Amino acid sequence: MTSPVLVIGAGVAGMTAAIELADSGVKVVLVDRLRTIGGNALDLYKAFPTDDCFYCFEGNRTRPGIRKCFYRSAMTDQPNIDLYTDTTVEEISGEAGEFHAKLAVGPRYVDPKKCILCGKCMEHSQAFEMLSPQCQPQAVVYNPSKAEDGDKKAEEECPTEAINLNAEASEETVKVSDIIIATGYHEMKPVNVEEYGYGTHPNIVTQLELAKMLDPNGESAGTLLRPSDGEPVKRMMMVQCVGSRDERYYPYCSKICCVFALKHAVIATKERENIKVSVVYMDIRTYDRHEQYYREAREDGVEFVRGRVTRIEPRNDGSLDVIVYDSLLDKYLKSNIDLFVLSSALEPPEGASDLMSQLGLKSASGFVAPVDLVAENEVVVGKRIYACGTALGPAEVPESVNQARAVVSKILQSRK
Amino acid sequence: MPTYNLYMGCSVPANYPNYEAAMLRVAKAFDMELEYMEDVACCGSPNLRAFDYFGWLVVNARTIAIGEKNGNDIVTPCNGCFGSLKDVLYHLKHDDEMRKEVNDELKEEGLELKGTIKVRHFVEALYTDIGIDAIRAKVTNPLDGAEIAIHYGCHLLRPEDVTEFNPEVLKELIRVTGAKVTEYPLWKQCCGATVLPVNEPLAIRLARDKLNSIKTAGAEFITVVCPACGNQLDLQQLGMKESYGEEYDLPVLLYPQILGLAMGMSEDEVGLNMNRVPAQGILEHLVE
Amino acid sequence: MAETDEKASPPVTLVDPIDMSKLDPSFRDDVKSMPNGEELTACFACSTCTAACPIANQWDFKPHQLIRMILLGMREEVLSSREIWECLTCFECQERCPQNVRVTDIFFDCKNLAAEEGYEVPENVLVLGKELVDKGQLYVVTADWEREDLDLEPEVPGLSVEEVEKILKKTRTGRLVGGE
Repeated sequence: MTSPVLVIGAGVAGMTAAIELADSGVKVVLVDRLRTIGGNALDLYKAFPTDDCFYCFEGNRTRPGIRKCFYRSAMTDQPNIDLYTDTTVEEISGEAGEFHAKLAVGPRYVDPKKCILCGKCMEHSQAFEMLSPQCQPQAVVYNPSKAEDGDKKAEEECPTEAINLNAEASEETVKVSDIIIATGYHEMKPVNVEEYGYGTHPNIVTQLELAKMLDPNGESAGTLLRPSDGEPVKRMMMVQCVGSRDERYYPYCSKICCVFALKHAVIATKERENIKVSVVYMDIRTYDRHEQYYREAREDGVEFVRGRVTRIEPRNDGSLDVIVYDSLLDKYLKSNIDLFVLSSALEPPEGASDLMSQLGLKSASGFVAPVDLVAENEVVVGKRIYACGTALGPAEVPESVNQARAVVSKILQSRK
Repeated sequence: MPTYNLYMGCSVPANYPNYEAAMLRVAKAFDMELEYMEDVACCGSPNLRAFDYFGWLVVNARTIAIGEKNGNDIVTPCNGCFGSLKDVLYHLKHDDEMRKEVNDELKEEGLELKGTIKVRHFVEALYTDIGIDAIRAKVTNPLDGAEIAIHYGCHLLRPEDVTEFNPEVLKELIRVTGAKVTEYPLWKQCCGATVLPVNEPLAIRLARDKLNSIKTAGAEFITVVCPACGNQLDLQQLGMKESYGEEYDLPVLLYPQILGLAMGMSEDEVGLNMNRVPAQGILEHLVE
Repeated sequence: MAETDEKASPPVTLVDPIDMSKLDPSFRDDVKSMPNGEELTACFACSTCTAACPIANQWDFKPHQLIRMILLGMREEVLSSREIWECLTCFECQERCPQNVRVTDIFFDCKNLAAEEGYEVPENVLVLGKELVDKGQLYVVTADWEREDLDLEPEVPGLSVEEVEKILKKTRTGRLVGGE
């Protein structure tokens, strides 16, 4: 029997690769360092280009009887997939066709296969939590840093005996034939971009943070409130290219931020009450048919200002005065706003460089680089090592899916 | 024999009777029945639209409604009138509410704009309804390839979805007379007539740009199909000579004058002596 | 240069921003609701209109800036600008707009708004309005012998002056220039 394929990262790209390999009869070890799969996309609420729940594109709903979040539930139900959450890849040795991956598996306090989400444990202790209504596996997790007296009771009273407070971290080594790197991206925390004041004022946030605020499943049920005092947001300003296209941070265009910002601007304008949104930009890069988003946003009343921020002056009432240079008008505009949103660069995730050096892979601006750019095999990054999604650099969801499918195709062909 | 409602406006009869006479004679030669519209009002030009949109709509809707009574298309030799009438028709066809409001105003006179007839520029009607072949058959004294630059005028060309005018029309109409069409870079540019009331120096600069572009391209004559453009390019040449000593020596002819001459009409019949920059030079280009 | 005992001049405000809260967002809606104004908000400020305009180089506010000013709500500045009245109405901007913004039509709308709201209308434009109300036409035949030489009727054929006078006295023209 051939060895399984190791997929590192269970975001959009990793999940796609995993399920499509598994459906083709290939065993997969799917690893994610977090306790729920879904990656960054889990926080997106709506994803372009369909404005659907991030992973449920029409084209994917081809199997009858499959519920909307089929992909994520399939990760736990597909027998060919071995899912490891709360797990990191510590070390990879061996060679193409027979890699040995040492996995560090976090303590399994709650057995997701046994948990029925009855919620009893959560009544006894705050240490038990549901990470997100869409979390997968659909199970409670235990956070030892919030440990309290009720924990023991929760363990005792769990009707399915899913809880084991004595669980310990473990190590496991798996033998795999191929490796798929689907480690995704990290949204840069723009603390160093002094002019935008991130970290100095609670009402200055990033787009990913805004996505969470807009999520109807989130804390405020999707109502946009000022983090400083919970007052409703009436005016919001976004600024594009924070850390992207900037030689001091990341020289590349992060590619998705424009559409990402427009999506949020339109949600705030159309689906929330009386929120006036301005977008400060250098160029709006709504490539391909995403241009339609841009036009719709303008028609919906989103205000666009081509220019940059001169300075931000916090007011005592929690709002911010922002002075923007409007380069088209050649004038400075001063606006009073409640929420300042930074479209921050996508950067390589933590640990990406370690992984790349262990496997001897090439880097491109910190992301995994293809072996040969001109060979049109952008997903081939080493001998029987592949990458897909934002591990390769900024990508939108459909693109990540396509790359994942390209990897699957490569692997299946190699096994013929 | 096609019959038309002829809408003259005020500028052609007042300032360019030679245009009017040449057009009538050319039309007659092709059995185009141009019947002067009766009891119609001045179009008000873009100036009226600028400060009194509704008044502009009503005045011009009234003219069109009068034309609709006999069902014949309205033909006009003036770009200003053409632009106004055509624009009003476009606006009212696309705005049901406004059409109702305007028609309420017209009710008193027993008129109603329904949008059943077209508004057309004389040169387009000539080209479409008579046709180049029929015109060619009547060209007895063709020009010898004289270089003529066409100035279309803004309101004949734009907005294209309103005017529906194809620039090739005028080119073919010039070529059929035996003349050559001189291409020049600023062919689309405004003559400056409309800005005359508010900024005369600017209007003159526009005319100058235009004349320079035409002269540089090697044209010997200019043709226009609008009295306002005629003023800017013809009359202003005299003023520019007087005020700045600039001489372009570019006679400006109304298109029916050129065609009329090529069809054997006399210079008096097309009123050549009324052109401001002496235009008699064109006679030397006629092949007997 | 010798020191002077003049007092230092007051501090100069180096950045003097437009206070957005003082602008009038209803201006944008007003223009958008006017004839052919609906595409106003589609503008993405590419400045094609300014590139197409033959006279923008002479203007303090370029066409794309005027559209931006409308979008931002700078009613006062736009409606009192000389630019809207100097627009040639040549439609080059409108014809080339990649977003179908009817720029020239929108400037017509602005002029109507300016006239309606009591902003200054250039004197010579009002003179034309007065001609229309008083004489029912913009041009009057002064050289009827020219017409007669060409076998044309001496007067402007078929022109009704009473009716246009009557109409325009009732509409804004009448309000702006009054009747005789």
